[in-house]
Amino acid sequence: MQLNNAQDKRRALTAATLTLLGGGAATTAHAEDPAGTWDIDTAVLVYSESDSRVQAVEPVVKGTYSLGGRRYFTGKLVLDTLTGSSPNGATPASTPQTFSGASGTTGGYTTPAYATPLDDRFKDTRVAAVLDYSFPVSDNGTLGVGVNGSSEYDFLSLGANVRYAHDFFQHNTTLSTGLSFESDTIDPVGGVPFPLAEMAASNSGGGGGGGDNENEDDDDHDGRDDGASDTKTVTDLMLGWTQVLDPYSLFQLNFSLSSSSGYQNDPYKVLSVVGSNGEPLRYVYESRPDSRTKNAVYARYKRLLFDRDIVDVSYRYMTDDWGIDSHTVDLAYRWGFSEHHYVEPHLRWYSQTAADFYRVALYDGEENTVDYASADTRLAQFDAYTAGFKVGSANRRGGDWSARLEWYQQTPTVSGVPDQAAQGLSKFDLQPNLSAVMLTLGYHFKW
Amino acid sequence: MLDAANVHVATACGGGYVGRFLAMASPCEVLCCDAGAEETEALTRVAATEVLRIEQHWSRYRNDNVVYRINTAGGAAVQVDEETARFLDYAQHLYQFSDGLFDVTSGVLRRVWPFDGSDRVPTQAAIDAVLPLVGWHRVRWRSPELQMPPGMEIDFGGIGKEYAVDRALKCLREQTSKPVLVNCGGDLAVSGPRSDGSQWQVGIDLQQPGSPAPTVGLSSGAIASSGDAHRFLLKGGIRYPHVLDPRSGWAVVGGPRTVTVRAASCTEAGVLSTLALLHGANAESFLREQLADAAVWW
Repeated sequence: MQLNNAQDKRRALTAATLTLLGGGAATTAHAEDPAGTWDIDTAVLVYSESDSRVQAVEPVVKGTYSLGGRRYFTGKLVLDTLTGSSPNGATPASTPQTFSGASGTTGGYTTPAYATPLDDRFKDTRVAAVLDYSFPVSDNGTLGVGVNGSSEYDFLSLGANVRYAHDFFQHNTTLSTGLSFESDTIDPVGGVPFPLAEMAASNSGGGGGGGDNENEDDDDHDGRDDGASDTKTVTDLMLGWTQVLDPYSLFQLNFSLSSSSGYQNDPYKVLSVVGSNGEPLRYVYESRPDSRTKNAVYARYKRLLFDRDIVDVSYRYMTDDWGIDSHTVDLAYRWGFSEHHYVEPHLRWYSQTAADFYRVALYDGEENTVDYASADTRLAQFDAYTAGFKVGSANRRGGDWSARLEWYQQTPTVSGVPDQAAQGLSKFDLQPNLSAVMLTLGYHFKW
Repeated sequence: MLDAANVHVATACGGGYVGRFLAMASPCEVLCCDAGAEETEALTRVAATEVLRIEQHWSRYRNDNVVYRINTAGGAAVQVDEETARFLDYAQHLYQFSDGLFDVTSGVLRRVWPFDGSDRVPTQAAIDAVLPLVGWHRVRWRSPELQMPPGMEIDFGGIGKEYAVDRALKCLREQTSKPVLVNCGGDLAVSGPRSDGSQWQVGIDLQQPGSPAPTVGLSSGAIASSGDAHRFLLKGGIRYPHVLDPRSGWAVVGGPRTVTVRAASCTEAGVLSTLALLHGANAESFLREQLADAAVWW
């Protein structure tokens, strides 16, 4: 263990003393791991939405290898398995609705009367990997570089990032900045759909094509550009400030700017085009702007209490040029009820406004007059609560385990209803609540 | 037999109560703002139980504890309990932190350094004879297993008392939210400012009769002092204090009489004050380098 200067040494002494006294978890100063050790985190997340909607199982393995001299190599592997059904964007109807498979490659599905149409063919496996290396460039400066990639059968994402952090005032203040770049390729089944083009072969029998969209090469009139894929690039810039206020507390403030350009649509999401009775005439593919700029600010305060507990409070505000503003308030209290065990209740409240182009449905013909429209509930106005708790062990030799159980409840506020069909649509539950349960089991050890 | 029952409560000079007990060869006391005699006694009992537990656990004067098992293992590996393992991890950290100046195996040097106020300074030959039994680098520590050559000994005395103060304070905090202070022979820690928001006023005993005790205000954290007032050898006009450099085996001469350090924990304060003494004449520059909040008396 090569410690660079007296200040680093003192910081390491403080950290080591806190570890000895069993309060090491709350400090930002970490005793450096000796060279040649692996610090390994493993976890499995099980996510289950109610009403047999999305079910996910996600094992994660992350290892950080210390090369000594504050040089760390990190590798992370995530496997996601998703099954279940997800709303396709269409509104309920008084009669059963049948939706086609894309280009006949997958089967269609039928939704009963008055039910929210769910695409039950939602099944995917995602593999994601991260490689990262961080190293000191001076006594107070640390540089990090990383690459990441993820792959699904219809989606490929590749990214790279570079980060720099600089410590001031005996490491009590850290300023950091990061830049990341990501390139995504979307290759949906049946090809990328044309925005606002009609989805083929639905039972509403519209059949007349999606209007004046430029789909000249859409030979089979299914609303999709056969075999076509599309791309998106995302650039993120982050600025961060971390301030140690006293030996027991710290404050953190981050600003981030995210700029995304290219294909933003969900290729499997549609909107119902309804008549004044609220019943669907046909379905059209969604259309989103081809760029999105997000700004976010994040503030966090963390404090060690009674040499035993940790209180962690954070707030995040995000605003984008699609008209979505969101607020997140997160509260966690870790109660170290015994020397080696803790329980941590957790509460989160989230609220967002709808995107300017969010529509529950479009009125007949409206698809030809609007540029953008989406019925994706993720772009709707809603509040969400997460409540749960985590139990785990801490500072045990050998390894620490944890288990987290959380409940999620999303309560949408209906908006984006076309006036002409408002009466007709009022008989349907246009935006049902969503609830989910999440269980995370983790094990952390050094090797 | 050490017994937590030997606790008594008296009226403190400020008007409140003070609980007293003897442990680690030091008078110990517990102060709690706004606590009555009964509560002070109960809290003192809690603190005494913890301090005496640590003393029994790590005392080198007992034959029924882990330190005895380690020191009499005769070269065999010894499995240690979790708390001892954490302490040995910490000892290893301190050894590296101090470039070998802080060494839990240095107790063997006492065999040649009597520190009885006499002039019996050992010869270089006598020191050379025991030096091979000193040095953490000779110890194989693979938590939870410790193995060292026969004849070597470990001794947690250097920071055991300060650790006990921190532990006792932690136990008291689990019992009460009122402001408390734990003091063992001048090494002390507080849970926060007094209930009226003021600082605790702590007198530093320089152990020099006649000189007034300087006071230090403390609203959080801890204070530890190291000094050599009573234990030294005097020969040829040179004062050899009870401060031994484990690398040379020699007493560190020319250092301060007393060093007091204020830090977040008593353990950390104790490490810094002990190391300052081991730096001898360079004590103050060491403390400055460590950004330590300290006072030094020569």
